[in-house]
Amino acid sequence: MNSYNTKITLIILLSFFLSLIYFYDDFFEIHPKAYITNQGDNTVSVVDLNALEVIKTIKVGIAPLGITILKEKNLSFIGNVGTDDISVINTRTDQIIKTIKLNTAPLSLTSSPDETKVYVTDWFKNNILIISVKEMKVIDSFKVGKTPSGVIFNEKYNYLIVTNRDSNSVEIYNKNNNLIKKLETGKHPFGVYTKGKYAYTANVYDDTVTVIDLENWSSKVIKVGAHPYNMLTHNNLGIVTNTIDDSLSIIDLKINKEIKTINTGETPENLDIHQKLNMLVVTNWGSDSISVYDLKNLTLIKEIKTGAQSRSFGDFILQ
Amino acid sequence: MRKFILTLLALTFSMSIFAHGPTPQKVQESITVSVTPAKAWSTVKDFSSFKKIMKIRSFDDEIMKIKYEMLKKDGPFSDYNAYIIVKKGANDNESVIQWTARFYRIYKLNPPIPEGQDDATAKAAVKKIVESGLANLKKSLASK
Repeated sequence: MNSYNTKITLIILLSFFLSLIYFYDDFFEIHPKAYITNQGDNTVSVVDLNALEVIKTIKVGIAPLGITILKEKNLSFIGNVGTDDISVINTRTDQIIKTIKLNTAPLSLTSSPDETKVYVTDWFKNNILIISVKEMKVIDSFKVGKTPSGVIFNEKYNYLIVTNRDSNSVEIYNKNNNLIKKLETGKHPFGVYTKGKYAYTANVYDDTVTVIDLENWSSKVIKVGAHPYNMLTHNNLGIVTNTIDDSLSIIDLKINKEIKTINTGETPENLDIHQKLNMLVVTNWGSDSISVYDLKNLTLIKEIKTGAQSRSFGDFILQ
Repeated sequence: MRKFILTLLALTFSMSIFAHGPTPQKVQESITVSVTPAKAWSTVKDFSSFKKIMKIRSFDDEIMKIKYEMLKKDGPFSDYNAYIIVKKGANDNESVIQWTARFYRIYKLNPPIPEGQDDATAKAAVKKIVESGLANLKKSLASK
């Protein structure tokens, strides 16, 4: 009798766990989501990438711009340049759980691969601020070049890469926050991206992208559309937002040349990819929307209205 | 008097908040005119006051959109880029002309921001340009 009961209990438990695995996404609401910072109305639009619609609008600080997502910790850090603070959102409940005061404008954010730290560029005082995710406060900072705009972490070499808009350069720091290399870029480098042994900067004023080899420090310049703002790579392609042309430049990375352009909404600023859905999302500052593309053939799936002046400078998709 | 000081304090405080931030500003205005979109578009295209101070970036006859960059550098703003688009109105003889500008304030360094170089000043100046531009367009369409 006892062993019969044990068996039943085990079967019930097993089926419970199996159903938990099967319905895992529903139980824990893990939907693929994009978090869109809207500078003009001080909100973040949460977009469900399966349903392709805005499912929630979260009030944050004034003029939200930069963003980074900590997938394992279910957190999203939003930089508000108008109120000089960071709103931390729990991505399970989509509610703000903390506001971190900075007293300087946080322009862009990125996290360390282990998600214990968030790096923030301090636009006004030329610093990188380091936030402890556990303590939810600034624990350290170090000086960098003028007007640090983009920041990203390269996992291959453990480098922190920073673009300095007003000194037309990119700086590479090691994990002890020591500068190991400073290289010239095109004029006004803003967005920065890295994958494997390469780093890329989008140079707003001279309509180019600089490709940097992180192994031998050689670099190449590629002509793109008018006023590029940010970029990323996917397989052998580079994808760049051209803010004035309302387009994306598609670069063949084998020959380092633009091979075609694709229309976006007005003033496209930033972009991110959902790997599993094979989806590219572009924020349109001018038309208060995002454009969602199928990455396979780069065709538009849908343009979705978000909030006023959508930006999302950084990684903004919850995988 | 106390109320006055409090208001002043509140104003100064709120202004210092809004004056922060290297953020692009936006002005968007539109007017409705009683002509066909084709006619409105042809007037927008040869809008003469444009050509001296603007660098035309693109014309698109299909979607009736012109994009330009302002070359004149004497306004209290920088990096001014704008577009004008003509859309269909409520009927065939009505059009909507929409003008959208993106720009930054002149002062891009650390606060404190010098007087007259903040976001609000830049926005007010561009609003004036856009509004008077639209008013001139309306006038020249009416005289045709």
